Amino acid sequence: MSFQKRLSANEFVVLAEMHTPKGVNISRLVNDARRMKGRIDAIVVPDMDNGIMRMSALAGGVLMQQQGVEAIIHVYCRDRNRMALQGDMLAAYVLGVQNLLVTHSEDIEQSDHRDARQVYDLDEVELVQVIATLNQGKDMGGFELDGVPEFTAGCTIAPYSDEKGLAGELEAAAKKIEAGAGYIITPPVFDLDSFAGFMEKAKELNAPIIPTVFLLKSLAIAQYIARSEPGANISEDLIKRIRKSSDRELEGIKIAGETVAALKDLSQGVMLQTLGWEHKLPEILDMAGL
Amino acid sequence: MITAERKPLEEIIEYIKPFKRILLLGCNECVTVCAAGGRKEVGLLASGLQLALLKSGSSIEIREHTLERQCDPEYVEELVPMIGSEEAILSMACGCGVQQLATRFKDKPVFPALNTKFMGGSLSQGVWDERCKGCGDCLLGLTGGICPIAKCAKQLMNGPCGGSTDGKCEISDDVECAWQLIWNRLKALGQEDRFLDIMPAKDWRSGGGGGPRKIIREDLAE
Repeated sequence: MSFQKRLSANEFVVLAEMHTPKGVNISRLVNDARRMKGRIDAIVVPDMDNGIMRMSALAGGVLMQQQGVEAIIHVYCRDRNRMALQGDMLAAYVLGVQNLLVTHSEDIEQSDHRDARQVYDLDEVELVQVIATLNQGKDMGGFELDGVPEFTAGCTIAPYSDEKGLAGELEAAAKKIEAGAGYIITPPVFDLDSFAGFMEKAKELNAPIIPTVFLLKSLAIAQYIARSEPGANISEDLIKRIRKSSDRELEGIKIAGETVAALKDLSQGVMLQTLGWEHKLPEILDMAGL
Repeated sequence: MITAERKPLEEIIEYIKPFKRILLLGCNECVTVCAAGGRKEVGLLASGLQLALLKSGSSIEIREHTLERQCDPEYVEELVPMIGSEEAILSMACGCGVQQLATRFKDKPVFPALNTKFMGGSLSQGVWDERCKGCGDCLLGLTGGICPIAKCAKQLMNGPCGGSTDGKCEISDDVECAWQLIWNRLKALGQEDRFLDIMPAKDWRSGGGGGPRKIIREDLAE
């Protein structure tokens, strides 16, 4: 069943994020994708995530489809104007990629090309609207399309540090849902009680919510996130658990697997984020009983 | 006003070193207010240039003058009697003034002594911030008098991005999130509902997307 159909049928979806290379060596990406075929519903391909110039998500998404794995590609507003965005989305569709995720893009100042000129012809809400417009057979100029795509578009909720930040994110998400987004990817979940509280508040959005499950690859990463992102709710107990473990890598995989298993009852899916450790995805799914 | 900052002395010297006589020209408008190119700054730059050139064993004759407005042809005409013996003009106006001179005096090299920065206002003594991008379709009536085009790093039209934290922009803790400011202002005005409206994609043609802009007032044009 396709990602879109599983969403419509309220089925639990399992997504995994895989980055395109900074270069043209696609062997790892392709191997990682092949390994996950049949075990996940779709691979999410970021596009120059964190402002790092890489092979575009459009090509990455097509590669995933060629391996027989459904793709969801990021689309964002920093690097393309409305014509390039529409053109690339139509290109993605005819090449087999029909799932889009409208994302926040890192400011160019934080990128690895700080001297570049950023675009921001549109913003995220407007981009979601554009996708809805294309789905209705028109482009932004009001001209009819020759062949109408059927995109499934989602949006994201960015990390937030407190209740006020969460309220702002929920308002922003509500706008994107109103504009036509059909699902929401949330920031990583490290504390199930806080996530349950979040879900209570997010109920009013009336859209499928897919939380991110982030693989804690080391104690240092867990400590860094705990320190720098208070809204992530990494508890002292979780840090202790990793610190005391005789195999910290395995502990991270167990934590991710347990989180996925627990989220089956709380959300409509998960998106696994392993940042270069995609070869560990099968173990996480094993731990989660998926 | 249009704000500007003086270029580094070394860059200015590179422009003027082939010449023996130049006119150093200030402007009494915006660049005077932002202390970059008024009468006082003309005097300071002339002294600085003389000293630097003397140190390097060369010299230059600098005639100082300040116009009421360098961007206005009426005032630029004042220069006609004095321009003949000058080999070049070093302008301490914004880019508008520099181009006005270059258009009027086609046989004289004209060099900028300033870097034109942005349209802004004064925050406090010696501090100016950007406030207007000249988008040609003012939205301030919808956004509580705070401009998302000039003050949001991403020029977003529908609320803050994910990089907004505790009222600060992701580019720097020194930069306030424009949309947080807009939200605070709309709230103070009892217009929170406006925040929920989805603003349509902006038509950037009025902001220069359609090439150089021009205003023609039929009632004033000759």
